[in-house]
Amino acid sequence: MSDYHFDFFYVVHGFARLMQGLVISLELTATAIGIGTFSGFILALATSSPNRLLSVPTRLFVETFRCTPALIQIVWFFYCFPMLANVFWSPFTMGAIALTLNLTAFNSEAYRAAIQSVPSAHRDASVALGLSKWTQALHVVFPQALRFASPVLVSNAIGLFQQSSLVAVVSVEDLMYQGKILAVETYRPIEAFTTVAVIYFALSFPISQLAARVERHYARLLA
Amino acid sequence: MSAAPFLEIRDLRKSYSRGAIPVLNGIADTMTKSDRLVIIGPSGGGKSTLLRCIMGLELIDGGSIVLDGRNYIARTDNGKTFIDRVLQRQVGMVFQHYTLFPHLTVLQNLILAPVKRNRERKSDAIGRAETLLSRFGLASKLRSYPSQLSGGQKQRVAIARALMLDPKLMLFDEVTSALDPELIAEVEAMILGLADGGMPMMIVTHDMGFAKNIATKVLFCADGTVMESGDPQTFFAAPKAQRTQEFLAKILRGTKV
Repeated sequence: MSDYHFDFFYVVHGFARLMQGLVISLELTATAIGIGTFSGFILALATSSPNRLLSVPTRLFVETFRCTPALIQIVWFFYCFPMLANVFWSPFTMGAIALTLNLTAFNSEAYRAAIQSVPSAHRDASVALGLSKWTQALHVVFPQALRFASPVLVSNAIGLFQQSSLVAVVSVEDLMYQGKILAVETYRPIEAFTTVAVIYFALSFPISQLAARVERHYARLLA
Repeated sequence: MSAAPFLEIRDLRKSYSRGAIPVLNGIADTMTKSDRLVIIGPSGGGKSTLLRCIMGLELIDGGSIVLDGRNYIARTDNGKTFIDRVLQRQVGMVFQHYTLFPHLTVLQNLILAPVKRNRERKSDAIGRAETLLSRFGLASKLRSYPSQLSGGQKQRVAIARALMLDPKLMLFDEVTSALDPELIAEVEAMILGLADGGMPMMIVTHDMGFAKNIATKVLFCADGTVMESGDPQTFFAAPKAQRTQEFLAKILRGTKV
């Protein structure tokens, strides 16, 4: 153990800045969850479609995002996408797009299994009631799949909150970015980065505990 | 009988695995508007498949169905043949296993199709649902979820849900088979009530007592064809076909009718 003297004075001083960063991190996460919870479902329907024109490209999309590091995805959207598409949006927007697509891909895998858990008798009933494919997907399958998939969706969301820290490398001023600035300005990297880690933990841990609890509750109900 | 046929099934054929496993081998029959057609027969004889074909749940190989004077000829589309979908809108069906949507309340189950499919105003649909449910003694269950209902109540709600779409013909596919014995009566009573109200219906059942009670016409289906059909008195008292005699002897031995 080194005889390092902890001094949180500057970190406490810079706490407001960390909170600003946290707001950005939460905005990014909320955007990705808000869109990804539904787009993941739509993507899951597409990947399991009997129409290969739909299933093959969407499966490719999912595997691309699952089999490449999130860091590359973020960097690619920040540096490469604007050049290819000739659009120049804010770092926040590019980060949000990358994270949302990433979460969509992971959520679609959770939904794929969940959709298969919806009893096929409900399909019969939907046809007998004359519901359109879209009404059936939206009002019969989605609410049930959401319930079945929720443990994985929550763990994906927590994972995404952690991954959102990667946007700091493309100068999105999130919690990680502000922590880095604070560390450099105060010459106190240990205090700054430890505080940042504690903040990530303090938000993620209760949610993961709560989710595990809810999951056990449902498991008991279904047993 | 002189009444014009309300429903006429002509040469309905269906098989699985490209003809390798025939299920319906040219089923044909008619029923009038006042008929309650009960279909009985051994498992795998095609009873449920017949109802499922009429409901549009199965592709068919050929045949046609005439309902209320209109011919719904099988249409071929990319090598798949099915009865015209317009027929579906006039037919309601209730299944053996509870098919209420578990995430919706009783009321939401009832109004989903009227609101989403028929674009009925939500307040109108709710009004009709409330009337219908109180008529069947289910008014107190309006806001319950299916998991909070007994099996009998679930099936009664499922029947009410089908009735919300004002079907011209109701199909009941072994709706009491999954029920505990003490819950069967309330469901059968509801179906009898509908029959008294003049609703044409086709019923697949293994309950011979109920069949005798409700049928105006009985169909014996085996091996994908109609082996025998007739009025219930003659059918149960003096069945003509040997397969029918064997089936009835087997099924009635253990049951009190």
